[in-house]
Amino acid sequence: MTALQIIFLFVAAVTLASAVMVVSARRMMHAALWLVLSLAGVAVIFALLDAGFFTVVQVLVYIGAIAILIIFAIMLTRKAMEDVGPQLNRGWWLAALAAVGVFAGLAVVLVSWPGVNASAGAGPDANLIVTFGKDLVDPHKFVMPFEVASVMLLAALIGAIYVSVEHKGGQK
Amino acid sequence: MNLENLVAILPLAALIVWAVLVLLVDLWIPKSRKFITALITAAGLALSLGLTLAQNGQSRSAFGGMVAVDGFAVLLNVIFLASGLAAVALAYDYLKRMGIERGEYYALLLFSISGMMLMAYASDLIIVFLALELLSIPLYVLAGFARPRSESEESSLKYFLLGAFASGFVLYGVAMIFGATARTDLAGIVAAMGSGTGNPLLFIIGAGLLLVGFGFKVAAVPFHMWTPDVYQGAPTPVTGFMSVAVKAAGFTALLRVFTALFRGDVYADLWPLLWGMAALTMIAGNVLAISQKNIKRLLAYSSIAHAGYLLMAFVPYGTRLQGDAVASTLFYLIAYGLTSFGAWAVVVALEKNEGMGLEIEDFAGAGRRYPWLGLAMIVFMLSFTGIPLTLGFWGKLYLFRTAVEGGYIGLALVGLLTSIVSAYYYLRVLVVMYMKPGEPVAQGGPWVNILAVATAAAVVLLALFPGPILDLVSKAIMLQ
Repeated sequence: MTALQIIFLFVAAVTLASAVMVVSARRMMHAALWLVLSLAGVAVIFALLDAGFFTVVQVLVYIGAIAILIIFAIMLTRKAMEDVGPQLNRGWWLAALAAVGVFAGLAVVLVSWPGVNASAGAGPDANLIVTFGKDLVDPHKFVMPFEVASVMLLAALIGAIYVSVEHKGGQK
Repeated sequence: MNLENLVAILPLAALIVWAVLVLLVDLWIPKSRKFITALITAAGLALSLGLTLAQNGQSRSAFGGMVAVDGFAVLLNVIFLASGLAAVALAYDYLKRMGIERGEYYALLLFSISGMMLMAYASDLIIVFLALELLSIPLYVLAGFARPRSESEESSLKYFLLGAFASGFVLYGVAMIFGATARTDLAGIVAAMGSGTGNPLLFIIGAGLLLVGFGFKVAAVPFHMWTPDVYQGAPTPVTGFMSVAVKAAGFTALLRVFTALFRGDVYADLWPLLWGMAALTMIAGNVLAISQKNIKRLLAYSSIAHAGYLLMAFVPYGTRLQGDAVASTLFYLIAYGLTSFGAWAVVVALEKNEGMGLEIEDFAGAGRRYPWLGLAMIVFMLSFTGIPLTLGFWGKLYLFRTAVEGGYIGLALVGLLTSIVSAYYYLRVLVVMYMKPGEPVAQGGPWVNILAVATAAAVVLLALFPGPILDLVSKAIMLQ
């Protein structure tokens, strides 16, 4: 066993274990933190596979944005911080069945895929990111959607602030 | 080169920069002088309008085919910017009267209009989606602008939830079409489907999903459920703006995307759906409007009905009558826009504080007490019904002609019959205004009165000389 394989097994175990903790942790906040660890594990696996771009996206989008959003949502929601109720409800076996079914389906599809045993060579990964970055600001490619998206986010930001700020005074 | 690209979208770029400026400058304007913000906003709209008119006669694409500057875009952008000016005029005194005079109204309005302008330029599905979002997101907030009032919050939330859902449909449709052809630019998609490399099944699914998403934006039956509640709860100037500009933007998207992409076989599959949607929208809008007691709800259902008439002209787009379908839709949009803004101006003038005074019965006596507003309202109601000597008549005539010549005589018949039904509820408003005694108070302020009288004059005068508009809409050709 090479060092890389040992690292992979360790990271995979951590990822799976923390994923289990996400659904079994009693406190919402703990579950969110376990989720961050699980997502970080996936990022490490991407790195082990030489997929630099996916590693960066995983960290920036999932850990940096989505996990933080979840934590904010928990902290801003009243009473969600406290642990309440049992972990399982009556339909738990249905959820378990669905999870096993999805896993089995994915496993079958992956195993029957001819490329499952092929080892990925060094891809044009680094070049791809450079091309992607250049295309985003290329006037003949995607600079227009890129800039419009930023304008849209600005408008959404103003709207969100307007909706959420308490207006005191000036009202009848 | 880059500069050429920027010049191509100069009216849009100027408006976005102006929106940010309005937001900044508003910080230094004291609460008692917010009318300055309104004036700055109007100046920005006028500037963009001037730049748009300077683009007249151009026909070119920019940003690598992402946007197209053509007669179609110029005409629609003029409609959007004029709607913006009308929305500022409606809000000028209204916001102050209702105690919700804040600068964000104007900044959000400008952002929304810039989304609509982008929609008119769009010749790539990515741009279509982004434009749809850019025009919708500020409107979700504007619908809830009278925030502490619960109807306004309800309106905002309903519009947001259903609007986000509809945007999902559009995005899914774009994804399907991308999956079918591996392209997002309209020209590339047409080429891919023409050369037979595309997947026809995914393509038609994409077409259906886009139809659902755009159908929501124009409030076509069966995607109209949100309209009455949202129109009733939103501040009246915002409702007026939505009823004209958002509808126009939705039809912009339909015309741009459908006339370019879904032709031939796909059209043969699509037209029964469009036919059904148009017929249902005309019937449901007009029939449901009959029993309304609130003027805002009445006009909301009336706007649904008019979306049906517009769809009727749109149905023959895949036949040899494409030019007529586009031109008659645009003509009716202009007629409907002028009439609708005028009617909303009368509603704003007679609305009392806290959203009171909006029952039709509250308009009793208004015709005698305010002869000018009453006269204007007569013009608008007749124009909505489509009675001669108003622009609405020419609009409907053109719509019916397009439908009949396209071979959709049944649809034209539905339109004709529902127009007769609509006369009942439009004329009832006039009966209440003139025949019943009452003492309403008009406090709309000068700009609202000017808007009402000016649009009424335009509806009548342009009906006497419809030539220039017919000329304009027939020249509004899309770059393909």
